Parts: sequence; structure tokens; C-alpha cells
Amino acid sequence: MTTLERLRTILVRDYKLAPEALAPEAPLESLGIDSLGAAELLFNVEDEFGITLPPEPVQLPTIGDVVDYIDRLIAAKGGDGVPAPSAVEPAARDS
Amino acid sequence: MTRVAVSGIGVVSPLGDTLAAVYEQAVAGRSGVHRLETAFSHRLVAPLAATARFDGTAHFEPPKLRMLDRVSQFALVCAHQAVDAAADPLSGLDRSRAGVFVGTGMAGTLTSDDGYQTLYGEASDRIKPYTVLMGMHNAPAGWIGIEHALRGPNLTYSTACSSSAVAIGEAWRRVAAGELDLALAGGSEAPLSFGSLKAWEALHTLAAIDAADPSASCKPFSKDRSGMVLGEGAAMLVLEPWDRAVARGVRPLGEVIGYGLATDAAHITRPSVEGQAAALQAALESAGLSVDAVDAINAHGTGTQANDPVETAAIKTVFGKRAQTIPVSATKAVHGHLLGAAGALECVLSLLAMQHGVALPTMHRALPDPACDLDCVPNVARRGLDIRTMLSSSFAFGGTNAVLALRRGD
Repeated sequence: MTTLERLRTILVRDYKLAPEALAPEAPLESLGIDSLGAAELLFNVEDEFGITLPPEPVQLPTIGDVVDYIDRLIAAKGGDGVPAPSAVEPAARDS
Repeated sequence: MTRVAVSGIGVVSPLGDTLAAVYEQAVAGRSGVHRLETAFSHRLVAPLAATARFDGTAHFEPPKLRMLDRVSQFALVCAHQAVDAAADPLSGLDRSRAGVFVGTGMAGTLTSDDGYQTLYGEASDRIKPYTVLMGMHNAPAGWIGIEHALRGPNLTYSTACSSSAVAIGEAWRRVAAGELDLALAGGSEAPLSFGSLKAWEALHTLAAIDAADPSASCKPFSKDRSGMVLGEGAAMLVLEPWDRAVARGVRPLGEVIGYGLATDAAHITRPSVEGQAAALQAALESAGLSVDAVDAINAHGTGTQANDPVETAAIKTVFGKRAQTIPVSATKAVHGHLLGAAGALECVLSLLAMQHGVALPTMHRALPDPACDLDCVPNVARRGLDIRTMLSSSFAFGGTNAVLALRRGD
């Protein structure tokens, strides 16, 4: 399975989302998953892909962004010289 | 002062999630208390609870559900029920003159417990990102305000077991004073986490299991009472000016006519005759009632050794000779103690009792107690009464005593 297919499996299983809605360009927000929801989703991603996410917050607006993020972490874990994603601006939330 | 109608009610409770079901269970004295069967029951001295038959997945999409503690789920469902029952009360409303008033004692304790389990039990740092937003006390009120676009005051009251009586009373004040055209007011509680149950157990206020009938374990005003049983649920009321409700073609379910508030200022747990009596007296004065004008009382009636004799003495202090003849119902025997939601549920039961001309029974009163010698309507409902005016009492750890004065909807 591709990363996208595996991510879709999580989203269908845990969020009961329709598979056809899960195109790479689909914004997570439009699926009812805000920035905090995405952070929670990444816990499941760690388990599914056997990777450990860096502690820095990231912004992943679309499903495609999540897929890219996972692929880069997998590549970094494999030691192929691809650097892990660097920290980007914290998820925007008001206190 | 503006007359304040109760034009819609929503309820999720151990007695059911419709007014008809709640009334039928209460009048028949069928208890919602039962043995608690969970993974941690074996670690409870007396695994008892009064649970609501409620499945959040039937009401919320999964992404939304992940953001809502059970306490907010209850509150939102009840608020929608109440608004639906009030027949479009938000139409044409200036939303800045509409408020939300919610009582809760323990708020998102299930979420907190879950977080502690992650951090301490599993030694994991994966605490849910929504933990703060799910656990905070004002989450239920906040969500109601968002879903119904109510832009006036959005207030949460946490005065332990009187929280939702306070919420309804404070909402009533604002509508009665003409400050608001509508209030959604009530309470919600989902306290049945392991941590919460153990903490209540440590207070030695919970009932022992009645071996013959666990559902009869809570025994208010009975000599053999041993404590309360924790319950979960919510009740929400739409309050609006009586004339507005009638003009909209709604027949009000009842009327809030007064509210008494007084504080013990004595001891953090021990109830006080003076404090409870002062709240009862304040409710009478607020509503302009004499003691003879009160037809029945829904007692706080927890079934603890400490509360019931003190409440008896407080009623006697205020009502004098009338205390011997006024029906006093302690419905916690069948729905358990919903803590911050108790006052709202018992306000609803009082309105239903008046509507049906019934004094609801105080169940499981096997042995009279000379220290609790009120007419507590033991074990069997009294029907065919003309009950026009009731008081509903809620007293609390911390000492905040609140009493609502209610009138039948006619």
C-alpha cells in the first residue's frame, strides 16, 4: 500500500470519513479535523508507520501534506540522507 | 419583574432521555441505580452508579466527537432537545440578548482521568491535544453558545451539588430583570471516571450496596441510609419572558418564580441548618410566597447521614407546623446524585410533578427516622393532588445553598 492508502485507512477507520473525500488536495479542516485534530491524527500515524515524530509542531493543511511529511520521516529513518522535516510555525491556536 | 416561562426542556438521565420516560420512571419509583460493571469495578468498595443510556456516536460525527467530553455531549444534546421542544424560540431573536448558563461540578473529569492514565499509567507523553478544551469547566456552555449562536452572557457555575440550580436561578434573574430575551440554562455532569469514583469513595459519602436490591442502595430519609450514588446526565431549560412564549404560540411547561441563595460559611462539607433555611427563606421572599402557598418540595435529599436530618431541621425552621404536612420528595433515590446537574434534573421533575398533580415518591424509605420526620412521600407516589407551587432545593459542599421556586404552567 502507498502512504496515501495507509493514511486513508486510518481516516476511514477512526474518523468514519468517506474514502472518496480523501483526495491529496483535500484540506483536513474541511473534513472536520482542525490543527489540534491533526496533532491527534499524528499519534495514529506514528503507530501505523512505526515512526517517531519530532516534537516540534508542524502545519499540515491537506492530506497530501500529511503524506509528504510521513514519507520524509520514513526516508529519514531509513538513513538515506533525506533530512527530517524541520520545524515550522506552531499550529495557530489562541489561548 | 418579567414573568419567566420554561418553554422547552431537554434531558439525558438515568431515568431516560425524554420527559415522558423520566416522569414514568420517577412516578413509578423505578430506580436507574445499578451495579457498575466496568474494568475498574473490582477496585471500588461499592460499585454503584446511575448511568444514562447514551451513545455519543448517535449524535455527533467522529471528528466532532473527538473534541467533546461526555459532559459536553450531554449538554449539547439536551440543549438541542430543549430548543426543539420550545418550537423555534431563536427565530427573530437578538442573539446578543440570549445567554447560556450551565452548572457542572466536575466538568471533564473523564478527559482528565484519561490524560492521567496516559501520563502516569502508561508513562506516555501522548496526551490528547484536545485535553484542555475537553476538560475545562466552561466547555459545555461554550459549545452550546457556538451551536446556537447565542452571543449574550455565556456563564458556567461550579458550586458542587447546587451548580445547576444556581445556573437556572442566575439565568432567571436576568430574564426576569429584562436583561435577556432568552436563556438556555441547566446543568451537565459525567462524573463516572475511576478517579472521580475513588475520590468520592474516599470521602465516605457513597452508599453501601443493598445486597438484596442494588438499585435500592440510595435511601433518603430512611434510618438505614448509608449515602448517595453518583449519577450522570444533564437537563437544560429554555427560559424566556412568559409573554414572548405565549405570543409565539407556545404553552409553557412551567414558570420560574423565584430563587433563593445563601451560603453556610461554616464548614467545607458539613451542611448547616442555618444556611439551608436561609436559602429556603430567600426563595420564598424572592417569589413573594408564604409557607402556606408552597404545595410541595423536591428535597436535596442525598441519603447521606449528614444531609437528611439537617435538611429536615431547615424545612422545619422555615415552614413551622406546615413542615409536618407538606410533601417532600427525595428523587435522588432513583436517579442518583447528578452533582452539578442534580438541581436542573430535579427542577424538571418538579415541573413534571406539578403538571401531573403528583407528589413523587421518596423510594427505599424502609425505616422511618425520627430525625427525618417529614412527610417524605415514602415509597409510593401520591396522585390526584393540586400542586401549583413547588420549591426545589440544592445544597452543596462549599456551602452554596440554592432553592428554586417554581409554578405550574397554567
